Amino acid sequence: MSKASISIGGVTGKVPVMEIKNIVLRFGGVVAIQDISFDIYEGEIRAIIGPNGAGKSSMLNVINGFYHPQEGEVWFRGRKRAAMKPYQIAHQGIARTFQNIALFKGMSALDNIMTGRFTHMKKGVFSQMIWKGSAEREEYENREIVERVIDFLEIQHIRKTPVGALPYGLQKRVELGRALAAEPQLLLLDEPMAGMNVEEKEDMSRYILDVNSEFGTTVALIEHDMGVVMDISDRVVVMDYGKKIGDGSPDEVRNDQAVIDAYLGVSDN
Amino acid sequence: MANVMETLPALLEKNSKIYGNKPAFREKAFGIWQTWSWKQVHEEVDRLSLGFLELGIKEGDHVSIIGRNRPQLYWSILAAQNVGAIPTPMYQDAVAQEMVFPLSHCSAKFAVVEDQEQVDKLIEISDQIPDLKGIAYLDARGLRNYDHKNLHSLKELAALNSKEEVLRTELIKRQKNQNLDTKCVLLYTSGTTGRSKGVVLCNKNVLESGKAGIEFDNINQDFSLICYLPMAWVGDFAFTMGLGLQSGMCLCCPESAETLHEDLREIGPSYFFGPPRFFEALLTSVNLKIDDAGSVKKFLYRYFMGVAKKNGEKILEKKSVGLINRVMYLLGDIFIYGPLKNRMGLSKTKVGYTAGEAIGPEIFRFYRSLGINLKQLYGQTEACVFVTCQPDGEVYSETVGVPVPGVELKVSDSGEVFYRSPGAFLEYFKDIANTNKTKDKTGWVATGDAGFIEEETGHLRIIDRAKDVGKMKQGSLFAPKYVENKLKFYPNILEAVLFGAGKEYCVALINIDLTAVGNWAEKNNISYASYQELAGNSEVYNMISDHIREVNESLAADKSLSGCQIKRFLVLHKELDPDDGEITRTRKVRRNLVSEKYSDLILALYKGAKEVFTETEVTYEDGRKGKISATVKIQDIQETVYQNEVA
Amino acid sequence: MSADFLYTIEVILNGLMAGVLYALVALGFVLIFKASGIFNYAQGVMALFAALTLVGLQEGRVPFAHLINATFGTHVHNFDWTLPAVAAIALTVVVMVLFAICVEKLILKHLVNQEPIILFMATIGLAYFMEGFGDLMWGSDVKKLNVGIPQGGSLWFEDLTIGWAAEGEKFYGMYIDILDVWAAVIALVLVLVLTIFSQYTKSGRALRAVADDHQAALSVGISLRMIWVLVWSISGFVALVAGMMWGAKSGVQFSLSLIALKALPVLMLGGFTSIPGAIVGGLIIGAGEKLFEFFIGPLIGGATENWFAYVLALLFLVFRPQGLFGEKIIERV
Repeated sequence: MSKASISIGGVTGKVPVMEIKNIVLRFGGVVAIQDISFDIYEGEIRAIIGPNGAGKSSMLNVINGFYHPQEGEVWFRGRKRAAMKPYQIAHQGIARTFQNIALFKGMSALDNIMTGRFTHMKKGVFSQMIWKGSAEREEYENREIVERVIDFLEIQHIRKTPVGALPYGLQKRVELGRALAAEPQLLLLDEPMAGMNVEEKEDMSRYILDVNSEFGTTVALIEHDMGVVMDISDRVVVMDYGKKIGDGSPDEVRNDQAVIDAYLGVSDN
Repeated sequence: MANVMETLPALLEKNSKIYGNKPAFREKAFGIWQTWSWKQVHEEVDRLSLGFLELGIKEGDHVSIIGRNRPQLYWSILAAQNVGAIPTPMYQDAVAQEMVFPLSHCSAKFAVVEDQEQVDKLIEISDQIPDLKGIAYLDARGLRNYDHKNLHSLKELAALNSKEEVLRTELIKRQKNQNLDTKCVLLYTSGTTGRSKGVVLCNKNVLESGKAGIEFDNINQDFSLICYLPMAWVGDFAFTMGLGLQSGMCLCCPESAETLHEDLREIGPSYFFGPPRFFEALLTSVNLKIDDAGSVKKFLYRYFMGVAKKNGEKILEKKSVGLINRVMYLLGDIFIYGPLKNRMGLSKTKVGYTAGEAIGPEIFRFYRSLGINLKQLYGQTEACVFVTCQPDGEVYSETVGVPVPGVELKVSDSGEVFYRSPGAFLEYFKDIANTNKTKDKTGWVATGDAGFIEEETGHLRIIDRAKDVGKMKQGSLFAPKYVENKLKFYPNILEAVLFGAGKEYCVALINIDLTAVGNWAEKNNISYASYQELAGNSEVYNMISDHIREVNESLAADKSLSGCQIKRFLVLHKELDPDDGEITRTRKVRRNLVSEKYSDLILALYKGAKEVFTETEVTYEDGRKGKISATVKIQDIQETVYQNEVA
Repeated sequence: MSADFLYTIEVILNGLMAGVLYALVALGFVLIFKASGIFNYAQGVMALFAALTLVGLQEGRVPFAHLINATFGTHVHNFDWTLPAVAAIALTVVVMVLFAICVEKLILKHLVNQEPIILFMATIGLAYFMEGFGDLMWGSDVKKLNVGIPQGGSLWFEDLTIGWAAEGEKFYGMYIDILDVWAAVIALVLVLVLTIFSQYTKSGRALRAVADDHQAALSVGISLRMIWVLVWSISGFVALVAGMMWGAKSGVQFSLSLIALKALPVLMLGGFTSIPGAIVGGLIIGAGEKLFEFFIGPLIGGATENWFAYVLALLFLVFRPQGLFGEKIIERV
């Protein structure tokens, strides 16, 4: 499963897709993120790791637009990003999953993944009301892309099942499918392997690697468990108490004294 | 082209001329059924053949086919035959090490595989199979960054290439060399008893046995078949290549193993084969659904199933039934049977077969009473399946029918069944000794099964494996499989293994069915965390011992088999698993392996212990090994004494 | 067939027709409740407001005539034109969309993430404001609405059914108002269109997505504010249809906003989140109250139509609180 064994080639051209510059995020008096900077290269798998409460999720929410930092800048595709609503950021090509699975529980897996196409569908309310010609064709074209995602994630058998009735592992896969359907330029994964057993974790790692190598999608993921992430990531940022304490290749990070200290101080690893 | 009817690829060419644009293959992909006509399939196979030639595949080379039922893999079989190579389909769910034997035994030169998973396995064992020169894959996913020196995409192989004319001449030359006696497939048996054997079938075997099957059930071009059985199993080969190509029916491949039931419903195949387990599982799921249904539905279901039980089979067999009963059955068909058959995907089934193991009489009758023409057949890899089939209107749950056209039957003095047929295999690959032992010079093949021909019906009835039928210490007959099958007819019992040859009494190892027993436990407020915990529950033990008592009673009624009654049993702490080699991938128990592996348990059963501690090695899906330990309870059963004997 | 039997059928038919109108109002409630969890008390007033606007535009009334006349001492009441019904309806739709935009900009935007009860209070305020505003804009007199839908009993149906009675029985054929039939047809079309819209279109899916999970909806690029405007516009449109039908039947007057109250028992019966539930609930209440009045009414002094629906709803609350079609309420401990 290790990435090295598949001899990945031509992935990171070292062109930053996103640059995080001196971000500070405070909630009232509490500082969640303290002056953090890092970048994400085009086509790489970038992990943000750290113990629980290190500020990883807050970081993801800043990138995704749920939180607006008090200080610092976010640069996306070479441009400084203005304060935006989350839905506008989705339209820029950033898709995400959630740690506690945020699916549309009443809808089928297929419909859930279809919503991922929202940013790509252009036809307005009225042409849909009539639902003819180009609007209908657009629906078919998007369905085709969604079916490819379904095939990719091997969830054909649950296409019509309401996601609320699915087991946890499959819900996680559907959620990943919804993000993939957006054909994102940057895919954010919030603890994609949380609550999974070893086999499910390996499956999920396989999907993440395949997304990255097959579609060239840039992936930024958060995990508090170092194990699997170190195998699949190109570069890792380590956070602890809202600060960045390490940044580099998995090997560099693994041997970094500050990182070792932070992780040894935490009991759940 | 060789003689039109002498090879499978020739048959394909004929079909493309006769049937042209009629559907040959369907596969559900991206949620939609894709269709290929006979003409398209012929073109695909033709191009693939040229690709195989370009790769340097020689006549007589073995080409391994590994993957789920996919049209392109079937085409690869035909293309391999077309260039004079011998296709060797293999079980795609085997772990890498299990593949070493068949691949090295036939020195496969080339493999056509479905996806990355199979490629990884072949790379893992590449040191042990030095003869393998190249791999072609169907799904490119995840393979982009692999070394492509000996790795080819099937799509590129089938693409037009510049050397077409040279290759075409070579192809025609090779086709001319082929005839009825050309080897057309090598199939490895699942190896119920020891190491698996490679059965070589020639064109004649496949064509003649297929023809017999077609004649027996009047199969024609309008039929459809769903291809879901393992490609390595002779049944799949005989139904798709033997029956399919000769009848010109449409072969449909499901989207994935998990979507089988949905795809089945959408296709509604007219020819369907399922092992008894398939029908058992389907019935269990129906029963579960009914349990959850509303009271009106439940009532209607119970009522009309009663009607069906009384008259369904008679109506299916076109026997006389009173008008009122007919009307009631018709109503039942509208409200219950029709929708039920539709849900199961069997509403258009004209011919349904089951074989391989005995099927529970209740289960068998359930399907027939709904109006599904489910029948039994008896077949073997060595016979290219068809030995006997039940004719319409002569269907009994204990027999396997009459010989199909062209097959002769005889039973030896020792009770073993022999047959002679045009479908009888050429040889066991690289195993003359076993070939001669199984097939004599006059063409009679030993089945290895003990049985007899019923006088009143003329039907063949199979009791057990000939070598498994043994003697107890006191000299009475010991037929383990017969008893095990009786036990397995209880939905709660998944597997049973009986021991007792040379002993004074019989003992049994039981595997409970986690779905059925789990459901029962839920209703009775018994909580459990695992199979192991449920298996050790004393109420489960009581339930199983009730079942065994009933089986003992029915055995006691049969004089020759009354010695096979079970005196002591235990419920195994783990499920018998193909990954551990305890059962084959077609779910047949490997008796010797089980008796060795659980020798401590069997010893305890005979020693009279009340419980026994044991430690067992298990293999996980990814090939890693681990150990589980448990203290297993043992329970005694009162023997039923045959009343007349006492008197 | 006996005359009694035929009378019963007639009562049921008329009850069902009345039920269609209840259902139309309930539908507007359900749409907004599903998408935003807001119980829109103003739905009934929206129907009134839409009907008032329609009449006003059609007859060329001058909006705020009273106010203008009182302030400037003028006597303007009417422009000197009337609009064709279709144009008036189209204009009213535009007004309802503008209204939806105003509601979002002026109220909802400021109440994001507030408790449902706060939002409910806001809609009560909205209801009273609109009642007064409508009064001020178009005057409080009872107005006749005629959008070209034929009215009155169907002679054809009367002739047809008169033949069904047994000979010698006193029966004059069944009475059915053509307007009611039209209302039923229009309601059916409306429901079909809404279903197709919500199941198979981008906006429809977005609407269902927002109903399920706000955060996830944002993450796939759905703007909540856009959805709110959309759903209030659709409810406004449904309110217009309901107001139009009621208005044509019994005149546009302020008592029309009271029909909103009848939608409450309908919702309790059908469930707050189910579109088919709203329809079936409306039909049951409509037919139920007419039948009850016909059979039991004379025994207990009549006027049962005023309270029957509420009693029925109460019974439902006791035995099946989620309604006929509502999502099952499971309290996890």
